[in-house]
Amino acid sequence: MTPDSKHPLALDEHDPGCGPGEENLDRYVEIEMAGGDPAEAFPSIAVHFRHCAACRADHDALVEAVEELGDAAPSTRSAGGIED
Amino acid sequence: MRWMEGLRDEGARRERTVGELREVLLKVARRQVHNRRAQLGYATGPEVDDIAQQAADDALIAICGALDSFRGESRFTTWAYKFVVFQVSAKVSHHAWQTEPPSREEFEWGGLSDRAGGSPAEQTERRELLSVMTKAVKDDLTERQRAVFVAVALNEVPIDVVAIQLGSNRNAIYKNLFDARRALRNSLAAAGLSIDPDEVEI
Repeated sequence: MTPDSKHPLALDEHDPGCGPGEENLDRYVEIEMAGGDPAEAFPSIAVHFRHCAACRADHDALVEAVEELGDAAPSTRSAGGIED
Repeated sequence: MRWMEGLRDEGARRERTVGELREVLLKVARRQVHNRRAQLGYATGPEVDDIAQQAADDALIAICGALDSFRGESRFTTWAYKFVVFQVSAKVSHHAWQTEPPSREEFEWGGLSDRAGGSPAEQTERRELLSVMTKAVKDDLTERQRAVFVAVALNEVPIDVVAIQLGSNRNAIYKNLFDARRALRNSLAAAGLSIDPDEVEI
């Protein structure tokens, strides 16, 4: 993701602020991880991530967590140690 | 959806699932705290790990309290990792603010430096830009917008640290910054100056 936020006056009128990205970050990242383009489903959030370094860092962190741990599952042991 | 079943169960199964989820959250937290190590200054190893532990604990509490809001639109784990990512982000910022709070000067407008160089015409244009910017920052921004613009856009204080310092939150500070940028761009445009970031060097 290319940041556009470095210039002091950088601004995009389609930027919705931090709220929608926080709310939908998990869905956004899953589309991305599945090889899709999350900007199609969430165009304004994609704009925001280009402008907000803090939200972009959270996005990158979630991508890394999913890449590293994937869909971790709980064990299937019962209390007595036998698969349930 | 074994996580959900386990977390909604009672007794030993719930306890085991909660413990396993915390282990997963802690792995994410440790990695993310490590990645943000530069923001933690001289924090010792145990302090750093404590931040990860607290983030995992608080994320776990938040997740257990929000199970009814999970609609299955993403995998449970992706949804859960999001909580711990936000917790790490908040706790690292809080630690940075506590140990090295931004100075008052970082929020105060001190003008823009006038760089030498360029053709005479470029120098004239730049002086005009600085003059309009200075007037706009003083006259067209609210006190809060000015403080946020100076801290975040000019002095590169992290937005979450600014939010803590001003008793606010990231979203509200971002809105302050957005409104400040829009007002300044309007002022430059009204003076007939370019607002294209590729052309305006500040």
